[in-house]
Amino acid sequence: MSDGTVAHRQTGEIGNVATPEDLRLFAGVRARELDAFEALYRLYHPRLARFLLNLLHRPQLVEEVLNDTLFVVWERSDTFRGASKLSTWIFAIAYRKAMKALRRLDEPVEDHDADMRPSDGDAPDARLGRHRTQEALLAALAKLSPDHRTVVDLTYFHEMGYREIAAIMDCPVDTVKTRMFHARRHLRRLMDGDLADWL
Amino acid sequence: MARILPFTTDPHRETRDLMPWLITGRLEPEEQARVEAHLAACEECSRELAGERALASEVAELPIATGIGWAAMRDRLDTAARQAASIPAAPPPGRRRFTMRQIGTVLAAQAALLAATVTIALRVEAPMASYHALGSAPAATGGNAIVMFRPDARESDISRLLKANDARLVDGPTAANAYVLHLPEAGRTQALDRLRGDAAVVLAEPLDAAALR
Repeated sequence: MSDGTVAHRQTGEIGNVATPEDLRLFAGVRARELDAFEALYRLYHPRLARFLLNLLHRPQLVEEVLNDTLFVVWERSDTFRGASKLSTWIFAIAYRKAMKALRRLDEPVEDHDADMRPSDGDAPDARLGRHRTQEALLAALAKLSPDHRTVVDLTYFHEMGYREIAAIMDCPVDTVKTRMFHARRHLRRLMDGDLADWL
Repeated sequence: MARILPFTTDPHRETRDLMPWLITGRLEPEEQARVEAHLAACEECSRELAGERALASEVAELPIATGIGWAAMRDRLDTAARQAASIPAAPPPGRRRFTMRQIGTVLAAQAALLAATVTIALRVEAPMASYHALGSAPAATGGNAIVMFRPDARESDISRLLKANDARLVDGPTAANAYVLHLPEAGRTQALDRLRGDAAVVLAEPLDAAALR
């Protein structure tokens, strides 16, 4: 096992995880079985870590919020009524906890490590490699608000539908569409040349 | 072919709004049919879709990694269990089951490993009874080393290490998953060095009054 995790998108799995396996593990969690909780933890950890890191941009805070989230799943498993998918319930807890953590910090969350990244203004005539494109995209994402970033990540990485995202963020579906539209426009403008290069 | 309902708003706008979920296949069949019908007829929206697909695949491939994992959560549960175990009337749960009450008493998310070590060592040294609340075997004497294995260490790794170092298991696992071992006095330091050097071992320390000072 490696404790360092990279979430890899697997089309058809992530974002649609209300599987029998999910529910079987969750039944074990309700029965206070630590083995089941560990398996559920391992199942959700990479996705939540990715989701929270994208949202919070602070590894230390991610760890705290992620463990708080899964701790609630363990402690409050009796409050999941099955009205939504299990993944929706868990991501909604994570989102609430993350926003609470951001409010507690009470500081601007955008672009805190921009200095660590190459500026997207240099070498405009250089043919950008894939790595460079990703750097530019990360920098562009960092300039979005946490809410906009969340919608982009839940849509394109976690492959969730807008209704599920609305449930997680506790907002109207039209708000999700609007946030997504503005985020995309913003990202594509910030990326400009980079995206065009490999179209 | 699905029945195609007309757009309720501007078709360009609705197509643009729904594009992300067309790409990821998360639209309802009616929505998808409507958007695809519009795309077939609208060059501007089709161009937009191509750009959007590029963005979608880039976001999906972004390497966002963290270095956190189950070990930290396990520490947290163990901390809760250890705190519960220090309450004299704590019930003796099964090893892999924790009660709500035990878990509920968590204060610190993660005890620093060093602090945990000292706590464990001190407890093993003096009030052995605190472990009995967790239902472990009756107190054994003669332990002179404490070892913690990685959470994912296999049983075969553990027995291999015990055999290779002529170690005898005296007590454990404790709430923090530490084991008290007896190592031959003559080669104890070398045995501890060998244990520390093994990938399956998180911590291996001597256990006696002198070592604690």
